[in-house]
Amino acid sequence: MDQQHIRNFCIIAHIDHGKSTLADRLLELTGALSTREMQAQVLDSMELERERGITIKAHTVTLRHRTADGEEVRLNLIDTPGHVDFSYEVSRSLAACEGALLVVDASQGVEAQTLANAYLAVEQGLELVPVLNKIDLPAAEPERVREQIAQVVGIDASESLAISAKSGDGVAAVLAALVERIPPPGGDPGAPLRALVFDASYDPYRGVRCLVRVVDGEMTVGQPVRFMGVGHDDQVAELGILTPRAVPVERLGAGEVGYLFAGLKELRRVRVGDTVTSSRQPAIAPLPGFREAKPMVFAGLYPVDSTAFGELREALEKLSLNDSAFSFQADTSQALGFGFRCGFLGLLHMEIVQERLEREFGLDLITTAPGVEYRVLTTRGEVVEVSNPAQMPDPGSIEAIEEPVILATILTPDAYLGGILKLAQERRGEQISMEYLGGGRVLLVYRLPLAEVVLDFFDRLKSVSRGYASLDYHLDGYRTGDLVRLDLLVNGEPVDALATIVHRSGAYQRARGLAAKLGEMIPRQLFEVVIQAAIHNRVIAREVVRPLRKNVIAKCYGGDITRKRKLLERQKEGKKRLKRLGRVDIPQEAFLAVLRVET
Amino acid sequence: MAPTHRSLPGLYLHVPFCSAICPYCDFAVLRAGGAIRARFADRLIAEVAIAAASWPDPRPFDTVYFGGGTPSLLPPGDLARVLAACADRLPLASPAPWVFLEANPEDVTPGACAAWRRLGVRTLSLGVQSFDDDALRFLGRRHTGRQARTAVETAQAAGFDTVSVDLIFGLPGQTAAAWRRDLEVAVGLSPGHLSCYQLTIHPRTVFGVRAARGQLVELPDTEQAALFDLTHRFLADAGWPAYEVSNFASSPEHRSRHNRKYWDHTPYLGLGPSAHSFALVPASAHAGRADAGGASARGHRWWNERHLRVWEQYVVAGKRPVAGEELLGPPALASETLLLGLRTTAGVDLDAFAARYGIDLLETNHALVTRLVRAGRLQVREDPQGQRLAPTVRGLAVADSLAAAFDLPLPT
Ligand SMILES: Nc1nc2c(ncn2[C@@H]2O[C@H](COP(=O)(O)OP(=O)(O)OP(=O)(O)O)[C@@H](O)[C@H]2O)c(=O)[nH]1
Ligand code: SF4
Ligand SMILES: [Mg+2]
Repeated sequence: MDQQHIRNFCIIAHIDHGKSTLADRLLELTGALSTREMQAQVLDSMELERERGITIKAHTVTLRHRTADGEEVRLNLIDTPGHVDFSYEVSRSLAACEGALLVVDASQGVEAQTLANAYLAVEQGLELVPVLNKIDLPAAEPERVREQIAQVVGIDASESLAISAKSGDGVAAVLAALVERIPPPGGDPGAPLRALVFDASYDPYRGVRCLVRVVDGEMTVGQPVRFMGVGHDDQVAELGILTPRAVPVERLGAGEVGYLFAGLKELRRVRVGDTVTSSRQPAIAPLPGFREAKPMVFAGLYPVDSTAFGELREALEKLSLNDSAFSFQADTSQALGFGFRCGFLGLLHMEIVQERLEREFGLDLITTAPGVEYRVLTTRGEVVEVSNPAQMPDPGSIEAIEEPVILATILTPDAYLGGILKLAQERRGEQISMEYLGGGRVLLVYRLPLAEVVLDFFDRLKSVSRGYASLDYHLDGYRTGDLVRLDLLVNGEPVDALATIVHRSGAYQRARGLAAKLGEMIPRQLFEVVIQAAIHNRVIAREVVRPLRKNVIAKCYGGDITRKRKLLERQKEGKKRLKRLGRVDIPQEAFLAVLRVET
Repeated sequence: MAPTHRSLPGLYLHVPFCSAICPYCDFAVLRAGGAIRARFADRLIAEVAIAAASWPDPRPFDTVYFGGGTPSLLPPGDLARVLAACADRLPLASPAPWVFLEANPEDVTPGACAAWRRLGVRTLSLGVQSFDDDALRFLGRRHTGRQARTAVETAQAAGFDTVSVDLIFGLPGQTAAAWRRDLEVAVGLSPGHLSCYQLTIHPRTVFGVRAARGQLVELPDTEQAALFDLTHRFLADAGWPAYEVSNFASSPEHRSRHNRKYWDHTPYLGLGPSAHSFALVPASAHAGRADAGGASARGHRWWNERHLRVWEQYVVAGKRPVAGEELLGPPALASETLLLGLRTTAGVDLDAFAARYGIDLLETNHALVTRLVRAGRLQVREDPQGQRLAPTVRGLAVADSLAAAFDLPLPT
């Protein structure tokens, strides 16, 4: 396919503004799927995406479109997620495209991720086509939102299209506009092959599947290829496009997007962001690749069954191919045994990774309290990075602890300003700017300790603003803080997996909240369980779980002892899902008690 | 307790009829018309013949237990025919096995008692449940407190070796004082044996449905625990110490010699709908001895069809009415021994346990036992026969958790 007849674009927006629904309409208009195959947000193919009604992974699809003057154009569309935790998916997708549809919900207007994602696209030099969606809603104000886009995002919105992705109104014009306004891919078809691996996944039968965007040259089946970054030589076993069904093709030319199976079974041989070139005629330099995602939140992942450590490692390796935004490193816990310290982009990301590991790989996991990564300056002048509270150096050897801070952008109707300012202050925030945007909307920029944001800041923000405020943030260096480790002891024994790092000012409240929550979560057992929270060995909160008083079924029915034994076996089976520390059975959820504490 | 395999087997006969179905009952029972009831004894006799052909234990049965349901609804003539068929087809102890009969108070008359005595009934077990009229009404029983008292006295006058009174506690809203009054009446009548069951709300019963709809609220946990404690303390003081979670006797001779077979893996043959049976299988098929003790004995448990009609179809066709069965290897037997042993005040015979299953409980669960002893849940007792691990009253209250707390490693 010659480059003039290709358009590569992604759909970006704030969460829920209708990206996937617009993708549905584009699939329909181009006849990619039959009516029978069609369903709402059809590209959200992961079970978790369908359950939660949000996009988690970027999804790529190739569409054939015939323009008004009868020319056939191939459209490579990437639908991206809107949630802030998955912005890494967006930035990778952008690298495979020349343009982006910037979808804005005309009833809500510009939100924090509208801004963040639009900036990402502009930075990468993409052509932006603004699309005002949901004009069927009575509250839609396309004119006002058009102005907002121009003013807040700072791009020309005069030619933005007003559509309803739900009803299909105006969507044909979107097709025409993207052919007209998004430039065809550049790249040199005659140059040595360079293709960007912008996504990958693991197929249990076929091995690693890469999604590639060919930039220069062409790739053909049987061709010997080299993954430049890892220096691995291989051969193209299969090429194809996703329509969204996988359709094998013989070749992919410059500007085209498709999938690639090499003989690859070994996971370490593939890195998302790598460049594929020809082994015979290699390119001189690889493509720029991606900036590595910087994890924000860290937590321990441990298999409930301690013998499953190897399985967990393999699962993490496979999953990280498909989700390159999380990091993992082997770690051990006295309480939980062998596991991994993992870094995530946010709590939702953490939850999704855990669920995918459990569902896609059949693992049963314990997740420990999420926290951030601190920089500890020791009295000996060293700097140590600590993401696991249990590994915090001895207080005597600490000169200072620095915590990561973020720059947060909050967009809100001014009616909720008071509540938001108070919340930001409680969370030790420092106001950088406050800008009235007109139309009663305010743009706030705050510097906040990341640790104060990761747990429940977003929920609180939503509740003080009745759901109207939106938030986007990125890391912005480190700041010294008065931080201490809060230890939790169960029957006098410190449980490393329950330790957290807190700001001294909130330590008492946090200690009481945590002890009380654990007290609720730990079931009564044969013995009394004492839970204590302590700082530097000084107990500052205490809770007692009284022992079980009665648990016996009155009657052993006649000779039906089998039933009785089965009950016992079930009870024991249930206990396996509890983690036994000393003689105390602790339910898995208890390790996440910190998330359930009101702050 | 003698080593299990030396005890003689027991025979259980299930009579599935009641004059009305109590709203809490989840047994295999039904209200059936005269015709079905009239032919029941014949069906049971048919099953006696079928079962006799395959029952593996040649030793005599020394207990026969008529349970239900309400066996007192069967005319004594029917009971007599069933017993005669048993004597005919199965080895019964001579001169006679100890016969148990469950009866509802409204069926207890001097005449009925005399007839049952003539059949050889030595323990009459009365479904009293309460002496309080309100409680009885709530429980859907067909007798009054006064009738219950009279029934106990009538039975005692008739000269049964043991009269046993069944009571239920833990009714919604029941106070400690109300339950204590029931206990006082019971001990005032001085029966040899008492069973005190806590009301359990089963899902597929009238109470279960009401509870699901929120029309009936179970007694809170702590109050149930308090009533359990009260029961055990009161009866121990009054001279009816517990020998099992729910069973109390004024002297060892009044303890149920039949029920305890369920608890220590003595073989039993159960006939009638839903009845369970258990036999020991010798480790080596060639050993051929019913005396199948030793480390490698296996257990075999099977159970009959629960529904009367289905059960009838099988026996009429001359087939065993078995609905399911299970073979128990040493791990399952060990698990049951511990589970059931910890429900009895006699506890678990540690030496026998070690000999049979190759597990030294004190050694393998040392820390647990130490803590449970310190917490007043368990005691390690030295008997002339050896060491026993036994629950205290506080231990009995959590017997199900006790058993689950133990690790039973497979012997190496
Ligand atoms: N009324 C109306 N609702 C719409 C329209 N477009 C999308 N929606 C609804 O908005 C909700 C979110 O739509 P999605 O397409 O999943 O939004 P998204 O932007 O892909 O969301 P994420 O991928 O999770 O960021 C769904 O309930 C859609 O039915 C529209 O034009 N009109
Ligand atoms: S009398 Fe006994 S067996 Fe019959 S229904 Fe009532 S509780 Fe159940
Ligand atoms: Mg979506």
